[in-house]
This record gives sequence, C-alpha cells and structure tokens, in this order.
Amino acid sequence: MAAISDVNPFVNAPAGDSAFARITDNVSRIAEVERPPRAWYIAFACALAILSIFLGSIGWVVWNGIGVWGTTMPAAWAFPIVNFVFWIGIGHAGTLISAILFLFRQTWRTAINRFAEAMTIFAVMCAGVFPGIHIGRPWLPYYMLPIPNQMDMWPQFRSPLEWDIFAVSTYATISIVFWYMGMIPDFATFRDRATTFWRRLCYGVVAMGWRGSSRQWHRYERAYLILAALATPLVLSVHSVVSFDFATSQLPGWHTTIFPPYFVAGAIFGGFGMVVMLAVPARQFFGLKRIIQIKHLEVMNKVLIATSLLVGYSYMMEFFVAWYSGNKYEAFTFVNRAFGQYAWSYWTMIACNVLFPQLHWFKAVRTNPVATLIIGMFINVGMWFERFVIICTSLTRDFLPSSWGYFIPTKIDFMTLGGSFGLFFTLFLLFCRYLPMVAMAEVKAFHPSAHAHEPDHHVEHAGQAPVGI
Amino acid sequence: MATAKKGPKKTSSNAKTPSSEKPAAAPRKSSAPEDSAARVNVAGFSDSIQLGSESSALFAKAAGVAVICLGVSVALGASDGDGFRRWSHGYLAAFGVALAITAGSVFWVCLQNLVNARWSVVVRRVGEVFAANMPLLAVLALPIIVPVVLGNPVVYEWADKAKVAGDEILAHKSGYLNPTFFLVRMVFYFGFWSILARYYLNHSRRQDETGGSEIAPSMTRVSGPAMIVFGLAITFCSIDLFMAVDPRWFSTMFGVYFFASCVLGVHITLILALMWLQGRGRLAKSVTTEHYHDLGKMLFAFVIFWAYIGFSQFMLIWYANLPEETAWFKQRFAGGWGTVSWTLVFGHFVIPFFGLLSRYIKRNKTLLGFWCFWMLAMVYVDMFWLVLPAVDVEPNLRAMDVLALLGLLSALVAGAAREAGKKNLIPTKDPRLEQSLAFENI
Amino acid sequence: MSDSHEPQASDSGPPPLHGLLAEYRTPAELLRASKKVRDAGFSRWDTFSPFPVHGIDKAMGIKMTILPWIVLGAGLTGLATAILLQWWTNAYDYPWLVSGKPLWSIPANVPIMFELTVLFGGVTTFIAMLVLNNLPFPSHPLDHVRRFARATDDRFFLLIEAADPKFDETDTRALIDATHPIAVEGVPEDRKTSDKLPTGIIYSLVIVTVMSAVPFALAAKARYTKSRSTRVHIIQDMDSQPKYKAQRENPVFSDGRSTRLPDPETVAVGELREDDHFWRGQDHGAWVRTFPPTFRVDEAAMLRGQQRFGIYCTPCHGFGGEGNGMVAKRADELAQGTWTPPSNLTDERIRNMPVGEIFNTITNGVRNMPAYGPQIPASDRWAIILYLRALERGHAGKIADLEPAERTGL
Repeated sequence: MAAISDVNPFVNAPAGDSAFARITDNVSRIAEVERPPRAWYIAFACALAILSIFLGSIGWVVWNGIGVWGTTMPAAWAFPIVNFVFWIGIGHAGTLISAILFLFRQTWRTAINRFAEAMTIFAVMCAGVFPGIHIGRPWLPYYMLPIPNQMDMWPQFRSPLEWDIFAVSTYATISIVFWYMGMIPDFATFRDRATTFWRRLCYGVVAMGWRGSSRQWHRYERAYLILAALATPLVLSVHSVVSFDFATSQLPGWHTTIFPPYFVAGAIFGGFGMVVMLAVPARQFFGLKRIIQIKHLEVMNKVLIATSLLVGYSYMMEFFVAWYSGNKYEAFTFVNRAFGQYAWSYWTMIACNVLFPQLHWFKAVRTNPVATLIIGMFINVGMWFERFVIICTSLTRDFLPSSWGYFIPTKIDFMTLGGSFGLFFTLFLLFCRYLPMVAMAEVKAFHPSAHAHEPDHHVEHAGQAPVGI
Repeated sequence: MATAKKGPKKTSSNAKTPSSEKPAAAPRKSSAPEDSAARVNVAGFSDSIQLGSESSALFAKAAGVAVICLGVSVALGASDGDGFRRWSHGYLAAFGVALAITAGSVFWVCLQNLVNARWSVVVRRVGEVFAANMPLLAVLALPIIVPVVLGNPVVYEWADKAKVAGDEILAHKSGYLNPTFFLVRMVFYFGFWSILARYYLNHSRRQDETGGSEIAPSMTRVSGPAMIVFGLAITFCSIDLFMAVDPRWFSTMFGVYFFASCVLGVHITLILALMWLQGRGRLAKSVTTEHYHDLGKMLFAFVIFWAYIGFSQFMLIWYANLPEETAWFKQRFAGGWGTVSWTLVFGHFVIPFFGLLSRYIKRNKTLLGFWCFWMLAMVYVDMFWLVLPAVDVEPNLRAMDVLALLGLLSALVAGAAREAGKKNLIPTKDPRLEQSLAFENI
Repeated sequence: MSDSHEPQASDSGPPPLHGLLAEYRTPAELLRASKKVRDAGFSRWDTFSPFPVHGIDKAMGIKMTILPWIVLGAGLTGLATAILLQWWTNAYDYPWLVSGKPLWSIPANVPIMFELTVLFGGVTTFIAMLVLNNLPFPSHPLDHVRRFARATDDRFFLLIEAADPKFDETDTRALIDATHPIAVEGVPEDRKTSDKLPTGIIYSLVIVTVMSAVPFALAAKARYTKSRSTRVHIIQDMDSQPKYKAQRENPVFSDGRSTRLPDPETVAVGELREDDHFWRGQDHGAWVRTFPPTFRVDEAAMLRGQQRFGIYCTPCHGFGGEGNGMVAKRADELAQGTWTPPSNLTDERIRNMPVGEIFNTITNGVRNMPAYGPQIPASDRWAIILYLRALERGHAGKIADLEPAERTGL
C-alpha cells in the first residue's frame, strides 16, 4: 500500500486553524486532487470492464429475447427478480441511515450517510434494470404507466406489480431529492474552494447560489426534517410493496402475512452489510479514518446483529406457522426448502444471514475492519440467496407435481447478475471522485466546537442533537 | 472527529463525552448525597422526586376500585349462567390491554438500556415501575389459565380433549395447543418477564444508592439477550392468548401485530403517569415538554406502525382470499363487527394520525393527554375486536366488560403506586441523567 | 460569480454600499452578535455559517416557516390524485374485472395512495424550500468579497444591509464593532454582474423548451389520427411473423381466404356421422323419443351425465335444473331487460319433449343459449339428457314411488 499512500494527499492533511477547516479540507481534497490514488484507477478499470459485460449481456438478452436466460416455466421469475429484490434491498440502508437514524438522533450517521445515500440511488438504478429487461420488450415500459395510450387502456391498479412501479419510482425520486438537497451546502463549499473556471461553474450551478444564510438554513433544516419524516415510512413501504408481489399470491411459501416487515428487516440487514463493505475500503483508500471511525463500524455491526436476528425470527415464524396452520402444502414447502433439492441454497442463506453475523457479539470481531468486511460480504451473499430460496423453491414446487421442475441458470444469467455490480461500482467510484463523499456541513454541525455555550440558557445547548418533528 | 456522542441510541463507548460535562456533573452529585434521596440536584435546580404519602393514598383508592370493579364484573358474569363463557371473553379482551401496557413497559425499559438511551433517563423509572407489575399480571391471568388447565373449553375449544380428538385440525395442533404445554409456556412468559422487570428495577435502584458506575453497562449487556427472549415470548404469548381463541385461524404476523399495541400501551401509560405525577408536583422540573414531545412522537410513530402491520395482515389475507384465512376477517366485517372494524381504521389510525401529526399538539399537555386516553380506548377496541367475535355474533359491549377493564387498569395503577412509593421516581445516579434533563428537540 | 474580478470604481464614482459584513471565529460569537442586532431592531440583515448554528433562529428572531403546511397540502393533493386516478381508470373509464376483486378495490388502492402522498409531499418539500429561500440565486454582492468564501468553510458572518431603514454607516459600524468581530468590511453593490440572463442562455432555454414539446406533440398526433403503416418496432420478432393468419386475406388462393374449407365431396376419417339417431336425434326427420341403440344406458352413463350437467348446464339452469343457476340469478339482479331466463328443465313442456329435440337444443342452442355441440361430445350430450330425465323423474316423484323403508326416513 506504499504506492497508494504516496499519492494520497489526505493522510497528512495540513491542520487548518479550526476543526471546521480540517473537516472541509479532509473531504474536499478527495474531489479536488488532480490525480486520485492509483487504487481508484485500478478499481475504476475493473468496474468498467464488468459494466461492459453487463451492457453486453443486456444487449444479448434484448436482441434474442429472454429465452437466453434459464428463466422458464415453472421458474418464470428466476434470476431477474432475485436480482431486482436483492438490489432494492441494498438500496434501503442509505435512506434508513439518512432518515430513520436522523429522526432517532443518531449523530454517528453523519460519517456515513452521504455515501450510503449514494449507494441507495445506484442500487435502485441497478434494481430498476432487471424488471425492465425481464418484461421482454424493454422499449414498451410505458405500458405500465398511467398515460393515455393508443389502445385506450389503463394499467391495472389492483396488481401488486403496478404498485411496485409506483413504489420504486417514488423511492428513487425521493432518494435523489434527499441526496441532492443534502449536497447543496457541500457543493457551495466546493464552489468556494474551486481554483479553476470549470469547477467553479459546475459546482456553482449545482449549488444554486447557496451562501449559508441562517434564514435559508432555517427552512433547509425544516425541509430536511420533513423529507426524513416522509422517507421513513417510504423506505418501509418500498420493500413491503415488493413483498406484496409474492405475499398476495396463493403460492405456498409466498403467501405469508409476515412478509412485509420481514422483507424490510432483510433489506436493512443487506443494505447495512453493503454499507460496511464499502465503508471499510473507502476509509482505507481515501484517508477518511478520522471521519469514519472504528466506533462507527462497531455501531453498524450492532445494527447487523439486530437485523440478523429479526430475519432469523421471520424464518422461524414461517416454519412454525407452516406447521401450525395444518396446511399440508405450506408444511411441504418449508420442509422442502430445508431438505429438498434447494437445501444447499437454504443452508447457505441460514449460515450467512443468521449464523455468521452472530460473530459480532464479540467486541474483537465487530471492531476489526477486516472481519467487518468479510462478514459484510457473507451477508450480501446470504441476502441474495434468501430471495433465491423464496422465489425458486416455491415456484418449482407448486400445487401440481406434474409441473414441478428445477431452475438451471445460464451463462447470461450470471453475466447479468455479476455485471450489475459493474454498474454499481462504476457509479460509486465516479461519485467518490467528483462529489462530496461525506456530509461536511452535518459533520461540522455535530462537532463539539459547533456547540455555542450560552450561559443564559443552560438547557439549550447541552450537546443534544437538534432533531425533532 | 465525527460526533458519536449525543444520540440517545448510541451504543458504543462513552469515552468521548464532551469534557465540559463529565467533571462538572460528578462533584455536584457527590456534594449532596443526603439531599439526592428526596430531591434531585443537578445542573443548578432541584426537584421533588419521591411520591411519599401520595403513594399509599393512591394505592388504597386504586386497589379499592380494582376489587369492586372486578367483583361486580364477576358477579355479572355469573348471572349470565353460561359457565362464565361470555365473561371470560370480555375479561380476556381487558387483559389484553393490561398485558400490552405491562409487557410493553418491560420491552421499553429493556430497549432504553439496550440502546443506551439518554433522553429517556428521567422517565425510565416510571417505566420500570410499571414493568414490575408483571407478577401481579400473572395472578390476574389465572382466570384465563386455570380453566384451560382444568380442561374447560370456556374460551379455548382446544382445551377440551374430547373435542380435539374429533377434529382433524385441532388434533394436528394438539402438540402445541394442549393444556400442559400451555401452562408451561405461561409460566415461562410471566416468569421471565417478572424476573427481567425486577432485575431492571432493582439494579436501577441500587445505582441510586451506590452510584456504581458498572451498573449501567451491566444492564446494557443483559438487554441484548433479554430482548431476544422477550421477542419470542411476546410472539408466542399473543398467539397462545389471542390467536388461539380461534384455533383454526393463523397469521405469521400476529405477534408483531400485538407487539404494536404493547408499544402503544407503554407510551400511553408513561405520558399519563408523568402528567399525574407532575399534577402533584413530582418531577415538575425534571420532565419537560421535550420529553412529552419525544414520547408523543413515539406514540405517533406506533399509531402508524400499527396501521402498517394491521393493513398488511388484512390486505394479504383479503387479496389471496384463502377460505381458512378469510373466514376470520369475514366474521369481523359482517354486520355490527364491520362497524367495529371501521371504527378501528378511523379511530385507531386516521383520526389520531391527523390528531398527533402537529408538533404543537405533541408539546401541549392537555391535547396530548386527550389523545392518550383516546388511544387507550382504541387499544381496548382492538382487543375487543380480536377476542369477542368468537362469542358474540353482533358486538355487544356489556357492563361486565367495562368493569373488567377498569378493574384491571386500577390494579395496575395500584401495583405501580405501591412500587413507586418505595423509592425515587428518577434514577438519580444514572451517568446519563444530566443529558436527559437538558435534552431538547428543535 | 468569479472572485477574480474585484469590483472597480466606474466612471460614475464608487458603487454604493450594499451593507456591512462582520466576520466571527465561533458560533457563540455569532449568536451573541445576532442577539444584539436583533434587539437593535434591524430587519434587513442576515447571518451566514457553514452549518446550521443551533439556537440562531431564536437569536435572530426567525419565525417558524410555513413549509410544513405547504407539504401537508401537497401530500393531501397526492392522496386525492391517487384515489381519483385509480377510481377513474379502473372503475369508471375502463372497468375490468380482475381476480374477483371489486372494480374499485380500496385495499388494493392503498399502496399507491401512500406512494403518491409521499411523492407529492417530498418533491414539494424540496421545491418549496428552494422557492421560499429564493434559490437559485446566481449572483450576490457578497460573491465579490474574498473573505466571504470561508462562509462555507469555517467562518461565521453577519451582514446588515444598507437598505435597512435603521442603517447608518457610522452607528451600525459601532454596533458591530461592539460585538468583537475579527473583521468588518463594507460590501459594495455589485455593478459588474448584469441582472439579465445572457442571451445565449435565453435562446438555449427557448430551443430546449420547444424541442421538449415535440414528443408530446407527436404522441398527441398519433392518438388522434389514423395511419396504415405498422408501428415502429425495434425488434420485429412477434409482430411480423411470416405466415397468414385466420380470417385474413390471402393472395395465394383464388378465393382469397386464409382459412381453407375441406374439398367438396370429401369427408375426414371418422367424421361421416351417418347415424341420424345418434348424431342429430332424428329419425326420418322426426325427433326421436328413445336413446340411440349405440348409447349404453347404465350407471356409468348416468354418473357421467351428472358430472357433465354440473359443468355445462348448472351455471344457468341450476343444480336442480329449475332454471335458477348463478348466471340466471345474477341476470335477474341486474334486471337489464334484455335477458331471456333459462327454461325450467323439470316442467311439463321439457318433460314431454322428445329426447331428440333436447339433443338438438344442446347441440345448436336456442334463444340466448349458445350451441354446445362443438364443446360436448355427442355421447356426453346423450349422457346429459339421461341425467336430465332422472332429474325430471325426481321432480315428478310422489311419496308412493318410494320403498316403504325409505318413506320413514323423510
């Protein structure tokens, strides 16, 4: 890593005349440096290569039709929907960190909220690709929108898939608005530090003339709070609606009333897994160890234990009620999951989602970045398999034994799945290079020296994060 | 450099508390050890933090009301001549409210310790006192548990061995739904909750006396595993007591649905108890509008959460339309029960949603108190709606139901009054107390 | 926007003063200064900080914004939009029954009601924040003050505008000096930056606006005109298949039909159907009154008939054949006036009807009853008639028909 620290200008960031200046400097120079660390170039080249596989495989699917996937009856929803639900789940952590933790006054979130939000948006973009290409004719997606069309027909609003369109597009819109609004003050900082005309112009345009006026901050903070309050139920609704796609059906293993909260817990779990996976290299390579500290990783790992247990609770309830209901189809489905033809995927899921995260009960594990990274990876594998188990085991073993089958993915299936990571990481690396990776204004606001101690109001500034509805 | 030191839920090390606070707090606390027994002296103000003689007066009143109400209720139930069948259902619904409040308190106290909450320290003792009602609640559960153990199908038809033998579904479930295992589980639930509640109350009080700095972290450590067991206990307890009233119906979400009522129950109780205490000059300065605001926000959030869980459960069953599941809702949307269902939709969600939306309302004691009573009534309507369709074709709220509810709530008040009168109403030596006193929303 | 151009004195003398700018090192100093300025009764002044300073609202006397109310209104608009959209499209304009749900299914509409409420509320929050804050605000006199660049970094500023009625350069400067700023600076009005947008930007905006209307105009044109050309498809897979479809014109044959008729004077194997009795229920033009000899009347045929009757006949005629099936009941309920009720199959008229005529009715239909010949094989049609005869016998039965042992069971 010597080569990297040679070009890394942040390790020895010059101490400014105040803590605020140091924060500004630490974050801004990542985007200001002329040549980013070599690791960035290597990562970007890899990401572009994987992205090209993604684009190529999508082109192949569009040109030849979705028959080039292994997706066929009875597994009519196979990899594409597994990938969709997986990415949508990843996309939950960003808004969770930004909105829910904000409402709960979790100030540690300021270290990671910006790139978690970015991660959300890129993950939702990856997710959006899959239903788009799975519909078979990706040039006709407007059929799903309520716009007057030449057939004089309307979408079917009683369908959960139609709810999905609204939920995912609303989520993407609000996430982008939330992300952009949070960046406005930081864009202004970039603008004011810019040394070249083009940087000044570009950051100036996106900063929209923000000058940090207190009268503006007042409305800005109120708007941020309202957006957080709106995004909190929204983030719960998105994965709930995704779960409705399955749970409104009558298929054993899909029709379960616990699906909405279970999917939400799983999404937060998977999303946090991805956040720790990205946070560890980000703090390593961009010199952000003073901002994203070990204690932040530790808190996130504790959240992982909690959500892992919630997911485990849901697995258990499904099993219990499958037996308790006395419905033989339900009972068969769950026994089949654990001991049938897909048992290997089921036990992978259990191991990655329920067992490995329990290692975080040990302080030595949850404060170790490498262990954090590895368990984060396991969680992502486990959460992908969770969706695979739900979709494939139920579809290939429905009511009619004559239509039972086994899903075998093709090369193209793996290329679209793996390639989607290329899209994600390409966008993420561009974000790291050009946009404020840490919410500077928020970090400053929670810095100890931001608390003006006023003798006449002893209750007023006692170090509580200023949040409320 | 980033700031992980002010949130109420922060769970990592406290090492970096702002230096201005810790040394300042320590000498003040040690300077007035005698005084701190009766008054809290932090940050330059004092407050009355013991209930004193009010305790025994309230206990006498509440216990009297409880005995009279429950007695009259039982007498009315006996006069029906149906072997207490109707009365038991009404009592079970009322017991649901009492359980929601008490189990909710256990959960809440456990949660505050688990996440190392700071804002809630001044109100935590009140929660601990209500959680400590658990042994009392176990006694009050006897009218439900004893008939099952005796094999009397007064509420639960699966308690009747003859009936189970002749019914394929009940026979299938008899491995779980049988009197012996039911008794074992009930002993476990109430035993576990009682021990946990007592653990928190005792340790928190010991901290008042010794000020031991190891007590708060040890309570936090216990909270993690305790929360896991609590989650399982509340799930299966709600299945056993409420879902099993109709042993043919099932929903994987049911535990979460009941849990929503528990969280509502504890916040309603805390707000009303604090208002009563402040009305008598206790905690008058310690508990501020900010704490009410936060409790109100949680109440508001769980009004929404309840609607989310309730709607998801209903909608999924309505949509899939499987006969073994829809029958339960069909019953609850037919005739007068339909009116009750719509009352829940509007009374338990739509109206309080708009009622609690505004920041102004959550910071206004009169209005917040009104919404607490409203939600308490709605939690009861919810329990009534869960249990009573099993016995009444049309909803029929009778005097014995209301008396059972009043009796059980009075019993909880009596238990809490007796417990609260023993010691302080605030954990005076909690290391996070000063932050809680100074806590402020924007 | 450029800081490289310090405002210069123009020919008309130095630019007038925009205001006085004071710089502070900490938020606490800014708060103290703000309270002084607030108490001095100024109205056109502001403070600037790199992050929202806690307590500045009170110190400056900023009133609570109306933003929450705007958002509430927008959210309710979103809710109403969702309800109207779903009702109008699925229950009114294009009613379409799906999976046995009511046309207007409130539970199924809730998710979209929620999503649109949040969507409208969230987007409005952002737009209202910009509008209330007067953003975007491209140029400001402060942009030409070098030290002010640190307002987004680590310094705290206070600006009192010269336009304030209480502003007096000497007195105000004295007031500011009393708050111990690091520096005080007069901010000149910005005369260099034009108030107008550059013409290039205006033209680009006009062009972009016009261009963005083109797709909508094309869509509108396509919706209200007719065209003989096929749709533009990127991949012509399923739309253009090299085959002639049924009922379409076909240039290959002289009669122009795609669907071919069998050659005259030919019969496919097994389709001769000479037996009038079995295939048409006739015997030399008269309706037969007996079952065909090739049809075996036995218990199996009776059960088969019962099953087929249950599948094909009960929807209209009912399980007892009285003409009270679900379709008939529903039609009665709708009372639309165009409905001919199905016959009661057990009444006198049908009971006396020759089996051949009943067979013909099933095969070819009558009144609004469709022809079932294409759907039900002939032997099954006879089985249905057999079962129907049993039904009729049951209806006409008398107590005397029963065995004495069975009578007591009634």
